[in-house]
Formats: sequence, C-alpha cells, structure tokens
Amino acid sequence: MRTKINRLLLILLATAIGVMFIVPLIWMVTISLKSDIEAFLPDLSFIPKEPTLINYIEALKGGDLDVPIIRWIFNSLIVSTVGTVLVLTIDALAAYGLARLDVPFRKALISMFLSTMMIPGIVWFVPQYILFQDLGLIGTYGAFFLPATAGVFGVFLLYQFFLGYPTEIEEAAYMDGANKWQIFVRMFLPASKSILWTLAVITFMGIFNDYIWPYYVSGGNEDMLTLTAGIAVMTHGSYVNYPNKLMALSVIATLPILIVFLLAQKSIVKGIIHSGIK
Amino acid sequence: MRGSWRSKLTSSLFVLPYFVCFALFLLYPLASGIVLSFQDYDMLGSREFIGLENYKNIFTPGTLIHDLFVRGLSGTFKFVIYSVPFLVIVGLALALLVNALSTRVQGFYRTIFFMPYAISATVMATIWMRVFDTDTGFLNILLDKMGKAGPHIGWLNDTPWVWIALVFCTIWWTVGFNMIIFINGLNEVPEELYEAARLDGANAWHRLIHITLPSIRSISTVVLIMTIIASFNVFAQPFLMTRGGPGYETTVLLMNIFAVAYGQHQGGAASAMAIVLGLIMMVVSTVIYRLLSGRRG
Repeated sequence: MRTKINRLLLILLATAIGVMFIVPLIWMVTISLKSDIEAFLPDLSFIPKEPTLINYIEALKGGDLDVPIIRWIFNSLIVSTVGTVLVLTIDALAAYGLARLDVPFRKALISMFLSTMMIPGIVWFVPQYILFQDLGLIGTYGAFFLPATAGVFGVFLLYQFFLGYPTEIEEAAYMDGANKWQIFVRMFLPASKSILWTLAVITFMGIFNDYIWPYYVSGGNEDMLTLTAGIAVMTHGSYVNYPNKLMALSVIATLPILIVFLLAQKSIVKGIIHSGIK
Repeated sequence: MRGSWRSKLTSSLFVLPYFVCFALFLLYPLASGIVLSFQDYDMLGSREFIGLENYKNIFTPGTLIHDLFVRGLSGTFKFVIYSVPFLVIVGLALALLVNALSTRVQGFYRTIFFMPYAISATVMATIWMRVFDTDTGFLNILLDKMGKAGPHIGWLNDTPWVWIALVFCTIWWTVGFNMIIFINGLNEVPEELYEAARLDGANAWHRLIHITLPSIRSISTVVLIMTIIASFNVFAQPFLMTRGGPGYETTVLLMNIFAVAYGQHQGGAASAMAIVLGLIMMVVSTVIYRLLSGRRG
C-alpha cells in the first residue's frame, strides 16, 4: 500500500515537472496560431479565440514577411543532408582504418584526433572563418558543411564500435581472398547500421540547429542563411513585433527535427553514452 | 600481405579523406589561430606581426580589448557559477525521479525531459523571449492572474531577474542531456548493492546517500566538467535574448570575441582572447578533475 502511494506521488511529481517542460512548446504553437492583435492580448488559454493559419501561409508564401523562408528551408536541408552524408562516409572509412587496419602511426593519429576534443571550438572559430574567406567560400554552401567533416566525434564513435567487432570472421574473409575494401563494405558497414544511424541523426541535428557559424559565413547574403540563422536574424529585426509570425517559423524549424528526435531517441541516447563518457 | 608497405599504403587510403579534412579545417585553423594571436589582422588581408601586443592588451587596464575581455569574462563567470550547480543537481534529480518510476512509464518521462535538447538555440530563444517578455509575456500575465500586485518583473531587463531567466531557460533546454548520462550511470550501479542494503534495513534515503551517490561519483565528475565547459561556451541565450543587457550585465566573453573580430575587425586580438579563454577553461576543468578524482583515491 505504501509503495503504491509513493509510486503515485512520484508520477504526479514527474507529470508536474513534465508539464513545465512541455508548456513552452505548446505556447509556441499557440502563439503561431494567433492573429497580429490577439498575439499581444494578456490571454493564457492555449487555444486562440480565433485560430488562424495565416502566419504559416505568409511565412511560406512571403507576404508581409519579406524574407526568403522557402530558400532558408531549402538551404538548411541541403546543407544538413550533404554534411551528414560526407561526415558518415569519411568518418566510417577513417574509423575502420584506425580500428582494423595497419595504418602507419595509428596510435599517434588517434591521440592527435582525440586531443583536439579538449580544445574549445571558439579557439579556431575566427581562424576557420578567415580560412573560408581566403578560399573564397564565404556565402557558399561549402562553408556551411565542410567544417563538420573535421569533427572528431563521429570518428571516435565508430572507432570504438569497430574495435569491438570479433576478428575471427574478418580473418576468415581474408583467407577467402577478400580485400579490405570488400570487407569494409560487405561486413563492417552492414554490421554497423545502427551506430551509423546514430551518427547520422546527431550530425544532421547538429548542422541543422547550428546558427552561429551559418550566421557569419552567409557573408551578409540573406539568400544564403539557414532557417535557424534566419530566425536569429529576425528576432532582432523588424519582426520583434510579430511574435506570431516568428513562432510559425519556429514551429516550421522545429517540427522536422523534433520528429527525427522522437523517432531516433534511442540512437541519440546511445550516441551520447558511447562517446567520451566511457 | 599485412604489414607490407603496400598494405600500409592501401590502409592509409581509408584514413586519408578524414585526415585531409581534419588537417585543413581543424588543425590548420588551430595553428593559424595561434599565429594570428601574435598579429594585427584587419580581417581583410593586411597582417602585421606585433609579438605579444594582443596578449599585453588583454591584461592592460584601460585598453579597449582589456575592457571587452574583462567585462565578457565576468559575465561568463557569473553564468557558469549560477548555472552549473542547477544543471548538475536538477539533471541528477530528474534521473533519480525517472529511475524511480515504474519501467512502463520511464521512457515517456525521459523523452519529455530530454525533448527540449533537440530544439535549436534560436527557437529556444524565440520561445523564451515570449515567456519572459515584460509587458505581454506568459510569465508576467500568469503572475498577474495569480494575484501578484505591482509592476511587471523585467525578466530580461533587470538584475537579478535576468540571470534567473537565463539560467532557467538553459536548464529547460539542456538539462535532459545531463539526465541521460546520469540515468545511464544509475543503471550501472550493481543491483546486489541495493539488495544487500535492503536486507540491512537501509531506507531509501540511506540507499541514496551510501550507495547511489558514491557509485556514480566518477560519472558525476564527468557531467560536472562537461557542464562547466558547456557553460563557459555560453553565447546563444544572452546574445539572442538580452543582447548582453541590462547594461553589460549579461555580456559574455564569446559575444565580445565575435564583436572584436567582426565589429572591431581585429582578428588577432579576437584570437588572443579566444586562446586565453580556452586556457582558462582547460585550467578550471583540470583543477576540478584533479580535486574530485584525487579525493577518491
């Protein structure tokens, strides 16, 4: 009996805290459905009196909002997708090489890669920007996703996974005359689907959600902003007075990422736990 | 075949693409950042070697760079001190709460507490600016309706409210990450320890103090250090929500490093500031790691 009451109290507590976590998200949706006038009324009901989709329509069609939002969505998707594919490809190759092959200076390379994880990103932010400026890549898509290819996280995550793979099957495949590339493609890649998915989700979310780097490397060209960087610019522009329109954009920017997050939550948790923690 | 120069060559090819990216986009900027910190660079093309001048400016009262550095660092320090205890303790508390629930609902509540972590900084800021808005924000209207008399609180305009607001939305946004790591740590505490304690008649509180907390000591150290590093990197919340105000109260160092680079066009000084911040972060996390792991041994 006592444990039952305890259980109930715990659920109530968890629900109360859960409500605090959810309310801001619901509030975002509520405001996005309000008209310009209603958005400023001191009303706390979560369902607007006259719900309207006008903010979404205007956001997507242009209208009052004179910013290229469709372009931003397109930019965000392109940059995140290309970046994720690139990161997955080169990280998987490198991790396989470092974990399973006779790469010269293997140990030295691994410790060099790992040691940079200790250095905060701000140290290379400005010089990295200058590099892209010197390469003439400011305001191009390359500037958005190329820095992600240098990230150590993915290599380390996959490296640890490949290390744990049993050697016997690999040896047998070598005996059968398979070469490294065939073993990588036919054995290691299929066996690491779930960890690759983990890395894909984390990488995609990272690039999609980042806004500081895109904000600067867009080079002041509004057409070359990503969705998140665009919203950051708008929060300080003339759109401060249109919270409902900003919220509609926020919903658009959040929905895809939240769906991915909810579908892939287990993978994300796995990624967090397997990286650097142990 | 293995071990021959040919094999080594083909093996290297697997690592080559990443190595090139790493060298070009990380190692080179790192090295050139160090070189840059000894230079005067206008962010356009003209570079001049000026030795330790940038570092000297950071530590010489009266210079613009010194003012921006000290002002920013003090904002960053305040944020670290205000936010880290909450992020760690609330993270642990949520983990304990979720673990105490029946397994059927654990996943649900874990997802709820972790969900805001998926949201981008800009959306987070947009939402919370509407919650904390002085005139028409959710929180002040709620306080009105609950019968609080007097003028509205300037959550994003007045001290100390502004820190409370920034820390609160940071907890909402990122505490799920710490919770996930703590939950994993809690799950790895051997069940036998609890069984033995139960047989000895230890109550829930005693089990927490004498078994759970000592068992997750090392994972707590990791969480603490990761949180400190993350809080030192604070930028989005004050940059988007308070613009560093009121006055310079919530102006953090990252904001001023960007201001020096892109506003003042002093790439060299910005690089020196970033390197000093990096060193401070490394020293602080090393000292805390030594203190915490030393006491255990």
